[in-house]
Amino acid sequence: MSTTNGFRRHGNDSFIADFSDSEKEVLINLSQQIIELLSERSDHQDSDPLAAMVGITSHDSPPDDEVLLRLLPNAYSDGVDAAEFRRYTESVLRSKKQAHAMSIRTMLMASEDGSVELGHELANAWLGGLNDIRLALGVRLNIDQSNSQELELLAPDDPMRGVYATYSWLGWLQESLLESLMNDAD
Amino acid sequence: MVKTKSKIEEEINAIFSTDRPWVTIVWDDPVNLMTYVTYVFMELFGYTKAKATQLMMQVHTEGKAIVSSGTREEMEHDVARLHEFGLWATLQRSDTGK
Repeated sequence: MSTTNGFRRHGNDSFIADFSDSEKEVLINLSQQIIELLSERSDHQDSDPLAAMVGITSHDSPPDDEVLLRLLPNAYSDGVDAAEFRRYTESVLRSKKQAHAMSIRTMLMASEDGSVELGHELANAWLGGLNDIRLALGVRLNIDQSNSQELELLAPDDPMRGVYATYSWLGWLQESLLESLMNDAD
Repeated sequence: MVKTKSKIEEEINAIFSTDRPWVTIVWDDPVNLMTYVTYVFMELFGYTKAKATQLMMQVHTEGKAIVSSGTREEMEHDVARLHEFGLWATLQRSDTGK
């Protein structure tokens, strides 16, 4: 099967794309990694099950991992306020991001021929999920405003070259979905 | 004259008021696509494409932009939703605008 042409509008509020087997595999794999990355932190055990039930956790320090910190950033520049906010909101944010990644993963796993059709809400979940994958890869690639040219010129045997190619492809895919979504928003 | 007086009162009230407006700030990020940032502003805040694009450009060129203002609770809600979609957002009192 040929490579995807990205997303296109189909009817009123529906967006479709066809993925090749290898593209499907890449997307399922990366979504799975995001889901696992966002699983509860092992450095904090919830001691109060009631608090955990209502979404309050003992996480009040920012994650040590750079990727997690980008996915779950501080809401305040002030450390005390940031910790308080994190305690009440971080586990909800984790679940929402996991749900986004999950919608990519489950839809592709259920699609035998690699085609997907998204309504508006699912399109938003996919956008958020694709963006989280790009953010994660962006941290690993150390993306900043100035180094995109360097990354374009990576040697063929540099392992980061493949990561950068995937990162660029995800950006292109996200853009195709955005364009189809925004075409009727004018 | 009356206008001036009420303006001063307003300012004094603002200084002592406990619910001075808070703001949500979105910071520039080298990964998020410009189209995506614009789209998120439209979806989350119901902004027109023109307004969302203008805010996105401000984030891009100035490094940050105030995207909404209101009570602290409202801004916490906005920041949480922006984080859900991977934008780099913080909230603060509007008078510490740095």
